Amino acid sequence: MSTFNMEFIVKDLMNAFPNKILDYKFDGARSVFVSVDTGILHDVIRYLKDRYYLKHITTITGTDLGDSIELIYHLSPLDRRVLVNVKVRISRDNPHIPSIVPLLPGAVLYEREVHDLLGVIFDGHPSLERLILPDDWPEGVYPLRKDYKVEVG
Amino acid sequence: MSYYQVPIGPQHPAIKEAFQFNFILDGEVIVDVKPRLGFVHRGIEKGMELRTWVQGIFLAERICGICNVPHTTCYCLAVEKLYDIDVPERAKYLRIIINELNRIHSHLLWIGILGMELGFHTLFMYVWRDREKVMDLVEMISGNRVTPSMNCIGGVVYDITPEMIPIIKRNLDYLEERTKYYKSVLEEDPSIRARTVDVGVLSTEKALDLCAVGPTARASNVKSDVRFDDPYTLYDTIDFNLITYDTCDVWGRAMVRVDETLESISVVRQALDKMRPGPINVKVKRIPPVGEATARVEAPRGELLHYVKSDGKETPYRAKMRTPTMANIPSLCEMLKGYHIADIPAIVASIDPCYCCTERVIFIDPNRGEKWVWSYDELRNYSRKYYGVGV
Amino acid sequence: MDNVFTLIRIFIFPGLLFLSILAFLFEWIDRKAYARFQNRIGPLYAGPSGILQPIADFIKLMGKEDITPRYVDTLIFNNAPIFAVAIPFFASLYLPLDGSPILSSFEGDVVLLLTLMTLYTIIVFIAGWASTNRFSTVGAARAILQFLAYEIPMFISVASVAVYVGSTSLTYISMNQPVPMILLQPIGFIVFIISMQAELERIPFDIPEAESEIVAGWLTEYCGPKLAFLRFAEDLRLVFCSGLATAIFLAGGSGPILPPVVWFVLKMIFIVLLSSYIRSLFARFRIDQMVSGCWRYLIPLSILQLILTRFVEVGLRWL
Repeated sequence: MSTFNMEFIVKDLMNAFPNKILDYKFDGARSVFVSVDTGILHDVIRYLKDRYYLKHITTITGTDLGDSIELIYHLSPLDRRVLVNVKVRISRDNPHIPSIVPLLPGAVLYEREVHDLLGVIFDGHPSLERLILPDDWPEGVYPLRKDYKVEVG
Repeated sequence: MSYYQVPIGPQHPAIKEAFQFNFILDGEVIVDVKPRLGFVHRGIEKGMELRTWVQGIFLAERICGICNVPHTTCYCLAVEKLYDIDVPERAKYLRIIINELNRIHSHLLWIGILGMELGFHTLFMYVWRDREKVMDLVEMISGNRVTPSMNCIGGVVYDITPEMIPIIKRNLDYLEERTKYYKSVLEEDPSIRARTVDVGVLSTEKALDLCAVGPTARASNVKSDVRFDDPYTLYDTIDFNLITYDTCDVWGRAMVRVDETLESISVVRQALDKMRPGPINVKVKRIPPVGEATARVEAPRGELLHYVKSDGKETPYRAKMRTPTMANIPSLCEMLKGYHIADIPAIVASIDPCYCCTERVIFIDPNRGEKWVWSYDELRNYSRKYYGVGV
Repeated sequence: MDNVFTLIRIFIFPGLLFLSILAFLFEWIDRKAYARFQNRIGPLYAGPSGILQPIADFIKLMGKEDITPRYVDTLIFNNAPIFAVAIPFFASLYLPLDGSPILSSFEGDVVLLLTLMTLYTIIVFIAGWASTNRFSTVGAARAILQFLAYEIPMFISVASVAVYVGSTSLTYISMNQPVPMILLQPIGFIVFIISMQAELERIPFDIPEAESEIVAGWLTEYCGPKLAFLRFAEDLRLVFCSGLATAIFLAGGSGPILPPVVWFVLKMIFIVLLSSYIRSLFARFRIDQMVSGCWRYLIPLSILQLILTRFVEVGLRWL
């Protein structure tokens, strides 16, 4: 398990999901970014989890790209030797994506965080309540989106 | 049977930072826990986007007061990946030394806090006295007791001169002796054992499922330590042990930290011996090339991840950090269920929570969005209604 | 003339004034010793070596704003501090500080004193309950629960001394010990000291006001003058409990050369130092551990002491 190399995982993913793996890029010796089609996110994560024991989710990074929102799921196996960063893009206006909490219970807070700050709605999340923003924060204002401007004082 | 709620936080003596748990209690027994974050937001992720890459180091340093060194190390490692540069060997060893000194200081601080939460004030006083020695060392190296500002993109700023080495070693000898003593205290003291053994149990399966990190995971017998798994700087050239305990309780977490302190002392010694003269940093351009990178570092509290994305501008397009406390909160809620009110402080402390680390995301401007613009009268009426006085 | 003498005894020496001075002195000794055991300095600035610090604290608290929260039961809440001070004062008047009791002595006053201690716990409970704060409520419930655990072994350990001496008058007990009872009944002494630590709500039994768990427990809502009085009451209870231990186990004021009152105070200081030392040695126990510990160890030990006392007595008679 600990000796498997990154290229092998990527090749294997390409074979398992033909034409659905959009892009990949190595990031140092033990980390890789893999862009996948949004529709197969669940299948990719389940595949990685069952086959390579990628059960540890470090976090979910959400980035506002202007026209879309990019989510990066930072996954690593049980011994956490490698980091597989699965990237998906979702629409910015209608940001829905299935929740991965049923697969990886550890993602529960990260999804709430991304929901709070970027307005992504994770369908199937057990309690997508406010986690970080104050209770009186107005609806529909997402501070990590690029159109939220901060007054620099 | 009716349950009643006791809110612990946002202000509470057991919690050093603002954070709220709503405990649903049955008598003295905890039935359920609801965490609420967000009381100490400083908007660092957004703030990163407004500052230059170099300013980012100092902002990262201020994410957390205690484990500031891993934050800057991690940020610098990620940015250096963007530049695709290799820092000089001496700088790598210096990073190891300053990281481990930070770990020693953080773990000793934690042992003191544990004593405090258990009502064992004597332990707290003793440990914090000895912790001063590490702070003195950090001050000697960098000029600051807690935040050394050691890292820069491309290496480190301050060097360790040959005169410092015997002083560091002498202090380390003292610390090793004291840490061994504290280890024996934790192992043998009946009142500490009574309050920590079999308290806050987190099984190995749960720890893996809920993605626990750091000493919390290692005390649940999860063999994970970024220094081993993803050796950054030159940790692969240094010989030290991965500490795990299989007791899965608060006591195990304490023992993991004490043993790690001893390991850290040995790591600093080895790094001091292996360090050869040479440059301590390389010059880099002001703006890194377009790209994105992640870096992982083992902070005292566990796995720390920084992600940076550059679009070739002066400021990062996106900077994201995931701090260990955030990762351990689900585990913490799991640990608390079924225990007594009296166990809350010890269990909460056992993950070594650092909410400043966890909450760093937002600038608050509650008047944004029109519905919250209130006149003074409306506000006054609201407050009167709220407190039930003379409406 | 006799009346004036009695009034002086009650109000000045060795009565209320002297007891108050002792209370502040003992708080200082306790704080200083506790600090030294912990490698700290302790109070330093008010007076020589900070000896006036407790008085300074008291005056400072008296000057603070007096707040009565809206939802408390005002009558009980406001009067609890008065009772809290009055009870240990009254009880202390039965201590044979200078060889004879301040107020009076009668057969059975030990029972009265122990009853007064019980009454104090009731005051604590209703004060916490009247605060209607959730932390106070939990603290009050804990105080009662703890009381159910430590009171019985404490009473039995006192009873075994009374059985040995053959009297229930505190003065008689303290004056008629051939050797200090600590030597004859060491188990009873240990049980008494542990129970005393619980009675005074000190580490390892500061459970009703465990700071890191329930803020200040039953004290949470108190501030200003009321808090000053409650803290003063705590000091007075330290005086009373150490005095009780001295009278029962350390033969009261008897000793060579020095006058009895000096001996009595010195022995009380010994008890206070012992208590500070215990305070610095332990972590706080959990309420269930405390209760089960008391029932499992302290009560059998105290009963064992009582039985041993009986054996010694019977054995002596046979010889």
